[in-house]
Amino acid sequence: MNRIIKTIGSCLVICFTFVQCDDLLESTSYGSVTSQQFWRNGDDVVSAVNAIYEPLLQENYFGHFERTWDIQSDDMWRAGDHAEDQAIEYFTYDASNPKLIDTWKWRYEMISRANAVLINAPTVEMDENLKNRSLGEAYFLRGFSYWRHYLVHGEVPIFLEADVLAGNLNKEKATLAEVEAQIESDFTKAAELLPVSYQGDPDNLGRVSKGTANGFLAKFYVYTEQFQKAITAGEQVTQNASYALAGSFEDNFKIDSENNTEILFSMQYTSNWTTDNTPQIYTTPRPWGGWDFREPIQDLVDEFEPTDPRLDYTVFKVGDMVDLGGDAGIQEYTADLSTSGFHFRKFASWKDGGLNADQNAPILRSADVYLLVAEAKIRLSQSGDAELNAVRERNNLTPVSNATMEDIMHERRVELAGENERHQDLLRWDKAGLIDIVAFYNQDRGPLKPARTFQRPKHYYFPIPQRELDISNGILVQNENY
Amino acid sequence: MKHFYYRLCRSPLARFRQEVCRIVILFCMGISLTGFSDPKHQAPNTIELNLKNVTVREALREIERQSHYNFVVNHNRLQILNKTVSLNVSDNKIENILNLLLEGSNVTYTIRKRQITLIPPSPQSSFIPVSNAGGVSSVDMNTETYASAKFFLTVQAVKGKITEEDGTPLPGVNVLEKGTTNGTVTDAEGMYSLNVSSAESILVFSFIGYLTEEIVVGNQATIDVLLKSDAKTLSEVVVVGYGTQDKKDVTGAISSVKGSDFENLPVSSTQQALQGRASGVTIVRSGGEPGNSGSIRIRGVGTVNNADPLIIIDGVPSDGPLGDVNPNDIESVEVLKDASASAIYGTRAANGVVIVTTKRGKFGQGLKMSVNGYSGISNRIKSIDVLDAPTLATLKRERYTNDGLAIDPIWEDASYQTQRTNWQDELLGQGTVNNLDIAIASGGEKSTFSLSGGIYNEQGMIKNSYFKRYSFRINSDHKISDKFKIGQSLQLTNQTGTAPNTLSAQDGLVWSAIRFHPGLPVRNPDGTYSSSQISSQFGDINNPIFTIDTQDRRSGRARILSSLNGDLELLKGLHARANVALDASFSDYREFNIRVLDQTRTTTNNSRRISSSKSYSLLQEYFLAYDTEAGDHDIGVVAGYSQQTFDYSDMTSQRKDLPSEDPSQRYLSSGGTITEALETRSYDALQSVFGRATYGLKDRYLATVTFRADASSKFGPNNRWAYFPAFSLGWRISEEPFFQGLTNVISNLKLTGGYGELGNSNIPRLQYLSLIGGGYRYSFGGGQTLGSAQSSIANANIAWERAVMTNVGLEAGLFGNKILMTLGYFNKQTKDMLLAPPSLGSNGTASIPFQNVGQLENKGIEIEVSYRKSVGDFSYSLGGNMTYLTNKVTELYNGNFLPGPLYGRSSSEISRTYVGYPIASFYGWKTDGLYQNQSEIESDANISADPRKDNGQITPGDVRFVDLNGDHVIDDQDRTIIGNPTPKFTFGINATGVYKGIDLSLFFLGAADVDIYNADRMQGIDPTYPFNMYAETINRWHGEGTSNSIPRMTNNRDNLNHRTSDMFVESGAFFRLKTMTLGYTLPQAISNTVHISKARFYITGQNVFVITKYNGMDPELGIIGANGFVSNSQINVDYAQYPQARTWTIGAQLSF
Repeated sequence: MNRIIKTIGSCLVICFTFVQCDDLLESTSYGSVTSQQFWRNGDDVVSAVNAIYEPLLQENYFGHFERTWDIQSDDMWRAGDHAEDQAIEYFTYDASNPKLIDTWKWRYEMISRANAVLINAPTVEMDENLKNRSLGEAYFLRGFSYWRHYLVHGEVPIFLEADVLAGNLNKEKATLAEVEAQIESDFTKAAELLPVSYQGDPDNLGRVSKGTANGFLAKFYVYTEQFQKAITAGEQVTQNASYALAGSFEDNFKIDSENNTEILFSMQYTSNWTTDNTPQIYTTPRPWGGWDFREPIQDLVDEFEPTDPRLDYTVFKVGDMVDLGGDAGIQEYTADLSTSGFHFRKFASWKDGGLNADQNAPILRSADVYLLVAEAKIRLSQSGDAELNAVRERNNLTPVSNATMEDIMHERRVELAGENERHQDLLRWDKAGLIDIVAFYNQDRGPLKPARTFQRPKHYYFPIPQRELDISNGILVQNENY
Repeated sequence: MKHFYYRLCRSPLARFRQEVCRIVILFCMGISLTGFSDPKHQAPNTIELNLKNVTVREALREIERQSHYNFVVNHNRLQILNKTVSLNVSDNKIENILNLLLEGSNVTYTIRKRQITLIPPSPQSSFIPVSNAGGVSSVDMNTETYASAKFFLTVQAVKGKITEEDGTPLPGVNVLEKGTTNGTVTDAEGMYSLNVSSAESILVFSFIGYLTEEIVVGNQATIDVLLKSDAKTLSEVVVVGYGTQDKKDVTGAISSVKGSDFENLPVSSTQQALQGRASGVTIVRSGGEPGNSGSIRIRGVGTVNNADPLIIIDGVPSDGPLGDVNPNDIESVEVLKDASASAIYGTRAANGVVIVTTKRGKFGQGLKMSVNGYSGISNRIKSIDVLDAPTLATLKRERYTNDGLAIDPIWEDASYQTQRTNWQDELLGQGTVNNLDIAIASGGEKSTFSLSGGIYNEQGMIKNSYFKRYSFRINSDHKISDKFKIGQSLQLTNQTGTAPNTLSAQDGLVWSAIRFHPGLPVRNPDGTYSSSQISSQFGDINNPIFTIDTQDRRSGRARILSSLNGDLELLKGLHARANVALDASFSDYREFNIRVLDQTRTTTNNSRRISSSKSYSLLQEYFLAYDTEAGDHDIGVVAGYSQQTFDYSDMTSQRKDLPSEDPSQRYLSSGGTITEALETRSYDALQSVFGRATYGLKDRYLATVTFRADASSKFGPNNRWAYFPAFSLGWRISEEPFFQGLTNVISNLKLTGGYGELGNSNIPRLQYLSLIGGGYRYSFGGGQTLGSAQSSIANANIAWERAVMTNVGLEAGLFGNKILMTLGYFNKQTKDMLLAPPSLGSNGTASIPFQNVGQLENKGIEIEVSYRKSVGDFSYSLGGNMTYLTNKVTELYNGNFLPGPLYGRSSSEISRTYVGYPIASFYGWKTDGLYQNQSEIESDANISADPRKDNGQITPGDVRFVDLNGDHVIDDQDRTIIGNPTPKFTFGINATGVYKGIDLSLFFLGAADVDIYNADRMQGIDPTYPFNMYAETINRWHGEGTSNSIPRMTNNRDNLNHRTSDMFVESGAFFRLKTMTLGYTLPQAISNTVHISKARFYITGQNVFVITKYNGMDPELGIIGANGFVSNSQINVDYAQYPQARTWTIGAQLSF
């Protein structure tokens, strides 16, 4: 008995001696690094910056959802078969509308990724130029996210580096002025830090540049009616050959030339790598592989001057011949392909009978900045003819002299149709007293675009998603008009 | 230096050394690893005697040595002890051995627990037959009476053979002429002969562990009897953690289900068969596809995260599903329900423990072979009535007219108004199920084995859905020496299967079949599949038959579950045991997605994707078990150490744009663009020390104390260890002297109660680290770029979730245990519940870590009742169990709620988990019929301040929602809890009857006081979708008084008529004849002629009928939805998932 107890005893002693050494319970995060281990070098910083761009391609963000707001405009009807879009189009949406939740989340995800770079990159030992570029990209993309928040929701909570470090991620909304100040600050810093251009650097084509930041600054200043600043920022683009308008309008929408100098910012897609759920699949006809959302309506087509070549490259209309490639070959665009008789062409291309997912979608083009500078000048009672005509002349249209806001409104509508600008332009002009948006949207534009009731100021902004309010424990307060 | 040391310890070499260390210890502890199959349980304590010319005294010593029995003898008066005997016997019934040993003497004996008292002859001794009447654990025998019986006046000789159900002869059965002392016992071949006094005599056949039979002699000269084993007798042994216990000594809450209760059911997994068979145990299934066996829930949903119980297969805790085990290999399934029973598995036991014990050979048993086969077909039970093509067009046109819009021309097009296809008929065909298994078992003096192999093949009702399993098992036990035994179990399984996606309300297959346009043919005249690309009015659904015909995916898994265990008896009653086990799985998944251009949901590039994974889990357990009895005290102690490691790795590769789609070219090496090449690896470990002490006083007062300390690598270094104590008490009231007057009515009565704490660590690993994911894709200038971003946020303080359980039980046997009842009450409080709270959008998309921020309460009552009786040749039994359960969340982070996943295109939120309500309650609006006319709208107080009313956005035929917050506006603030997805009552009823060779068994299943959210119907009657609709939509509102329940046809969503509301909450109560089996066993006289000891043929029906008011396909299935990491954030929601089938099988069971 004693012998046995001793044997067992000594065994247990041996056993636990080994157990002491043994790190049985130590686990490792094989294949992914912890945030403490990251930020080792310039490669890590560039990789972290790349990730800030990634949400742009998300179907539930810029790929589709964020572009849905423009169905409120007079350019298009919602088409598609998502019932919540009808509520958006007809101004009957509420705070539970599913389009609100994801776009809100993705904007903050971009902000969160940008904040991580802004917190960590400054202390990483790396090439200074690369570091400046990276910080510039992070500032720009954060500013861009707040810009989108500002357009869609107005007042939103602002999270910056200090909030992240303090773990403070449930905050009250900032005022409109605070949001504006943040956007201006981020875009301005980005404009200082970013390189002029990536032309000639094919591996980095598509990154944001000084031109991108200045273009958005110009847009921001026009929206906030700081026209002189808008002109100063905008001219950084219009007067720099690096951002020259493309030779032809359609170059901006062709895969071969989709990264030309005019493209200041675009969603960069590559087939078999990024998602297939792009603006392209949403705006093309079903029998041709698309999902048939956001069809242009006759009202937009009628806006084009008879000789404006842009119409052909903006919409498909009955009788157009379209090359789908492969066995499908060249097919005629027929009336039964759409409800309105039209589809947007800007984002569409086919290969081997299917959609070609290499197609990018622009977010900001120099042409937009030209028209913004022209608008700023006109609204300062200066002449905007030069910038306006630069856009018109590219399309062989007769120059306008003593251009008015009406000319600008027309030109912006036809130049930027389908590029998610129209509804925001109309809101901006209504706020400035240039148009009456209530009356404008109350016009009956046919069965697909009946008269709708826009309530001012409620419908300037969307409500904060209901679930965010529910979860925030009372810290987030709903937009006062909802 | 410390760092270096740390490194050293982490090296593979150190791991190797650690393994070596374990093995060394193994050897020190006895080279005798045995598992924890307690010897009492392995072939209940076989005693083998091979003695030549020894005294009876020596023989008794040998019995003492081999068993747990002690003899009490009066040496002076027992001359027999010195008698010389020779004996060669192997038996597991001590009585048989004693009868042999004492044969010819007039010594009798009593057995009281482990103590056997030899009683010298006394003039008063009388014959009392062995009875299995409850509580009578003593056996008195007087062989002298046997002898004297021979001198009785007899008129009739009867002989016969007594066998077990499987045909094995039963030696030692008591045969008694009722009302007399005339009797005998059967011999080794189960034969007996007895002279009885008259034709009216009744013979009583009784044997411990078997149901007593009474047969009138009549004019029969031969009476063969088949004794049925009595699964419910108190001598039953129950498998508990790290050992077994006599059922009568158990103080925890354990439900036991015998393998024979569910053998040969046409189900892929034991899990499905468990449904309704034990109180407190429910199986929740989200679909009926082959291989979907559902999840086990013990005493309610214990947590919002993974609430699966721990599954232990032959002593090996494993995460793997029960579907790997051939149900016909299973001897018994024990469900440990309360803290006291489960605490020995502290770590992972918060959601209960399921112990599966497979069949083993028995020592001294001859070679037995059995063959089981069945084959059957399955068909759908129900389909959803949908509109035909002309009616659909009519209602769609009505929708445009109501909205004042021009009718879309496609609805005027006559070519789409011919009814062509009932898509559910096309999709839900006939399935088949086939099973064949063969088992051989044998046991000699030193070794036993059992060997089995099986093939199960189920083809689902939907084409291209199947589950196929090959299983193979060897179990063996060996007596290396008198004191040293080893045993091993090896299970090899290979399963393959696939099923279509039926869990999506965007492209689920059954969902699609309900909605695809009925005017389209399956195939166009040119042979191509029809397509909804024709018009966006037909919705973005692909032709469901196209989808299933072209589906090419397959998942497979091979698993080795092998354990080796040893048992060394160090001292009498003291055993050192060890168990080492390997659980290895190799899984792979392959799919090929063809290029699809002519359906609405296109796939621009074809793709090949394969992923394969390996997981190894290594278990080592070493423990001591000690049992002793001293006077009135009965003590048992188990204490030991356990560790288990989990290594996992996988690889996923994908190429797109392969040059050919020919089946022979659907391989990665055929070319294309590499779009994914991923590898992951993980390692986790558990380390534990555990102990249990049981104490019995006077066989009446019982106590169990359990303790376990666990460490898991899933928690940060500071929170790794946790301690889980539990205790329970039992009082066998019927053993009290004061109770003896009542024992003829209440033969057994036991009160138990317990309290304990259990842990749960079923959460993703490394929650205490903040991780950077490197796979975020973007493209610059057409290149493939990857980005890195924080993928998860850390919670450095993450710690164990605990379940605190209190438990009271009452066990009773009435009328000689003809009626057995158990009654239980439980109160389970889940504390520090691990949940990942919903993150604010401002946190972005990085996953929020689990935090210990919730409490949950499950309370309930369980009842199990059984009754059995024989009347002549007819014997029958009735059994039932019922569980009443309430589930309530008592605390959540910041007092907030957990949102459920969003349903379908409308992103409807259906479930929310709130404090004070059941987990995943349905959350939405209350309704009060439809507005029949404009004046009802004008006068409705619910919407008197609602701007939509003034804007004319609410019209007659819209739903009247109820304004709950009193602001006279209908908005998000008017939502409330509208249903409970967890059944309050669940029950199962079992009825069996045997008449001569015919047997019938019926098993009913039911649930009551439960709600189902019929989300499919919510969408199915919603005209704003471009899909086909439920047939009931024909009864829509289309003028005053036409309907008060189905809203008008409109595409307008101003009033959101089909938002989440009580209109779609239905009672999920049902009563189902789950299985029905009718069998016939050939008379032995016939089967023996072809050398078959038993031949039984049967027909089984599964899901024979159901009584329910539920309108969906199946009240038994409901989606369990996850939202992020919260696994149970939605329960019992109908998504039109793969329905269950009605299956009929015929089968044969042959024993040789």
